Amino acid sequence: MKITLLAFTLLATAFAHAAVEVGQPAPNFTLKDEAGKERSLAEFKGSTVVLEWFNYGCPFVHKHYDSGSMQKLQKAAKDDHVVWLSIVSSAPGKEGHLTTAEAATKKAELTMHSTALLLDEDGKVGRLYDAKTTPDMFVINGAGVLVYKGAIDNRPTPDPASLEGATAYVSNALAALKIGEPVNPSVTKPYGCSVKY
Amino acid sequence: MMTVLSSHAQVYQGQTLVEPRLIADKTAIVPGKPFRVALVLKMAPGWHTYWQYAGDAGIPTEIKWSLPSGFGVGPIEWPLPEINLQREADILTYTYGGEVMLMQTIQPPANLKPGASVELKADVSWLVCEEICIPGKAVGLALTLPIAANAQPAHAAEFQRWTPRVPSVDPPPFSIAWSRSGNQLTAKVSPPAGTTALDFFPLPPAEEQIGHPSVSGSATEGFTIRIEAKSDLRGVVALKNVDREQAWAVAAAPSAPAPPASAHPSLLAALLAGLLGGLILNLMPCVLPVISLKIFGFVQQAGQSRRRIALHGFAFAAGVFVWFLGLGFLVIALKSSGAQATWAAQFQNPWFILGTATIVFIFALNLFGVFELTLPGRATNALGEAGGREGLGGSFFQGMFATLLATPCTGPFLGTTLYFAFVQPAPITLLIFGSIAAGMALPYLLLSLQPGWVRFLPKPGVWMERLKQFMGFPLLATLLWLLYIIGGQRGATAIIWVAAFLLLLGIALWLYGLAASPTVKPVKRVLGQLLAAGLVIFGAQFFLLDLFAHEQAPGAVPIKSGGIEWIPYSEAEVKKLRAEGKPVFVDFTADWCLSCKFNERTAIDTAAVRAKFSELGIVPVKADWTNANPEITAALQRFGRVGVPFYVLYPAGKSDAPITLPELLTESLVLDALSKAR
Repeated sequence: MKITLLAFTLLATAFAHAAVEVGQPAPNFTLKDEAGKERSLAEFKGSTVVLEWFNYGCPFVHKHYDSGSMQKLQKAAKDDHVVWLSIVSSAPGKEGHLTTAEAATKKAELTMHSTALLLDEDGKVGRLYDAKTTPDMFVINGAGVLVYKGAIDNRPTPDPASLEGATAYVSNALAALKIGEPVNPSVTKPYGCSVKY
Repeated sequence: MMTVLSSHAQVYQGQTLVEPRLIADKTAIVPGKPFRVALVLKMAPGWHTYWQYAGDAGIPTEIKWSLPSGFGVGPIEWPLPEINLQREADILTYTYGGEVMLMQTIQPPANLKPGASVELKADVSWLVCEEICIPGKAVGLALTLPIAANAQPAHAAEFQRWTPRVPSVDPPPFSIAWSRSGNQLTAKVSPPAGTTALDFFPLPPAEEQIGHPSVSGSATEGFTIRIEAKSDLRGVVALKNVDREQAWAVAAAPSAPAPPASAHPSLLAALLAGLLGGLILNLMPCVLPVISLKIFGFVQQAGQSRRRIALHGFAFAAGVFVWFLGLGFLVIALKSSGAQATWAAQFQNPWFILGTATIVFIFALNLFGVFELTLPGRATNALGEAGGREGLGGSFFQGMFATLLATPCTGPFLGTTLYFAFVQPAPITLLIFGSIAAGMALPYLLLSLQPGWVRFLPKPGVWMERLKQFMGFPLLATLLWLLYIIGGQRGATAIIWVAAFLLLLGIALWLYGLAASPTVKPVKRVLGQLLAAGLVIFGAQFFLLDLFAHEQAPGAVPIKSGGIEWIPYSEAEVKKLRAEGKPVFVDFTADWCLSCKFNERTAIDTAAVRAKFSELGIVPVKADWTNANPEITAALQRFGRVGVPFYVLYPAGKSDAPITLPELLTESLVLDALSKAR
């Protein structure tokens, strides 16, 4: 019994990890956005896509939104025709959970420049991508292949002062994609609050 | 006890989440004498702060000291955290709930004036999480201590409670063998008896994403740790038994094979020793009388044909070789059968040395005649019959069985050799056994070629018994060497406990020998054997498990793991070496600094790094900051450091900028850095 359970867990883990390796196709998903409209990853094929795991209550997320640096990054991405999907995987009743109406309000309130704010109440997409933290970041190229996953920058702290002089991994990844250079580093350790599944 | 809610407490929606305070383990600062301070964080129920590696989420608590000039501070000693797995989300974090104490050693300068007082200040920041996370900080948390010529212990209970929870940097008293296949790191652990559970806490390099460690197995069959990680990492292994939990810092790196350069002279010596040992085996009382009989047997069987006699001699020698090589293969098979796979690393393990010492002692007593080894009678008879056949095949079997039948005399040597052979790589093991076989077969080969030389053989006599007894002394000398190693690992008292155990073991074997005498009545024999067994059990329990097991390495004695010949630091010396264009590696360390000791043991004083030092001609310099040393303090401050561990590599040539290494080292990281020395 114990062995079976262990084998099952290992198998499940193997699957979960196999799904989101850099260099592999990013798995498709469909979620409702802040307008209640269904959006899927497949519809953005041909464009670079950024996935951002979002929880407005998390102090690490606060660091990037209160300072305006996240909005700036989203705006720059938008200007470069990069699709930016912010995803909320918080379960109902947990920190960061948003209803459709609340999502629209929050998006406006924070002046988010995301293409869409997607709601993943049951955490399916979060688990599919093995998202651990907010903000956990993924960059997918026009061919639908995952080219970066990990932290937004190299300063794992909620302290706003840390933004100064940080190495902005996601911004660098987008810059590299734009000029056709390989993304380096392509995997880092995401930091932040745990995703509130 | 009076509790004052400090102004630094973190309050959220009316609830106090974290209360920080600083304490010291002394009532006063004694100039030049290191003491310990601790940040105590008291968390509200359900809330937790993080370990030095937070896991999938969270961040470690940070302490930034602002100390008066001349003061230095060591790294944080992190107690073992709790493992916090949110199963449904598969998020793993390493946390502290309730209360935690983060200890550090402070090194005050020697020129402080008693009578004044000193304020030690720290800015502390943390992340505290329950369902949600709130960052907290305390700016200017302060601890004021008077300066005095003497100091009394303070907060002793708290320090005593938390100190044992900090992982030990000594080599763990059990075997742990890492291997890598792709990104998968695997460790086989053979825990000591009584272990009920094992946990592994990884310490990956900064920003590296690793998988969740998994632990399987049990205390009896051994544990297996698995973790997915691209680079080698460090970690902590914690063992639980019935009444306590102990932890050891380990390097989760597959051990690099030792460079073969130094192996050659010792291999040659080992082969010569094997040959000589094999020859001496022929002089044992059970063997010598047989040699001339065998040779006469060959002569009788072969008539006068010199060629036939020589063939018999070769067949006999082949039998001897097959027997010994068989033993060699047995050792290799045992070694690779999992549980024993890690013996090679075990000369660092005091329990391994203790086992070796015990075996060597038993064999020495056997040679002195305190007790006898006997083969069961039935086995002897069966083997004798099989070997009784005629012809070349018969000679071959006689070669094998003569060797086996001589076991009562040769056993002590073979046993000792077997034991040492366990720590050698397979080809060396075979070579050593081969050379013993060659030594033992040599007289037969020579005499079958020249039967006339039988008259040069020494005549059997009482001298053989004396020689056997004498051979016990070289074994006792080996025992002295083993005790010396134990002393280096666990201190002089540990030698006494081992010797006391051996004394009881000696008495037990003497009783066993008396009881085994054929004239003793069966009842008395059983009584004698029971008494002997009781003595051994008592000795092992009292002297080894109760006393020896708790001896620690003497802190002040430098670890002499055969290692690097450090030059003591002085600024003039470093300047001089650099002026000569030599690359210099400076290790800023202190005996009270656990990470320093751990880095030295696992990442600096290793075979591969030593080889790199000598290959590139890097001069190793040790800046020992165990006691206040203004020159070293000044050097650290030039690099903007206030404490140890710290490592600087000056590449060859005067102009090159120094390379600094991070606080947490792995062997591969050090090797990489060293390769930039030229």
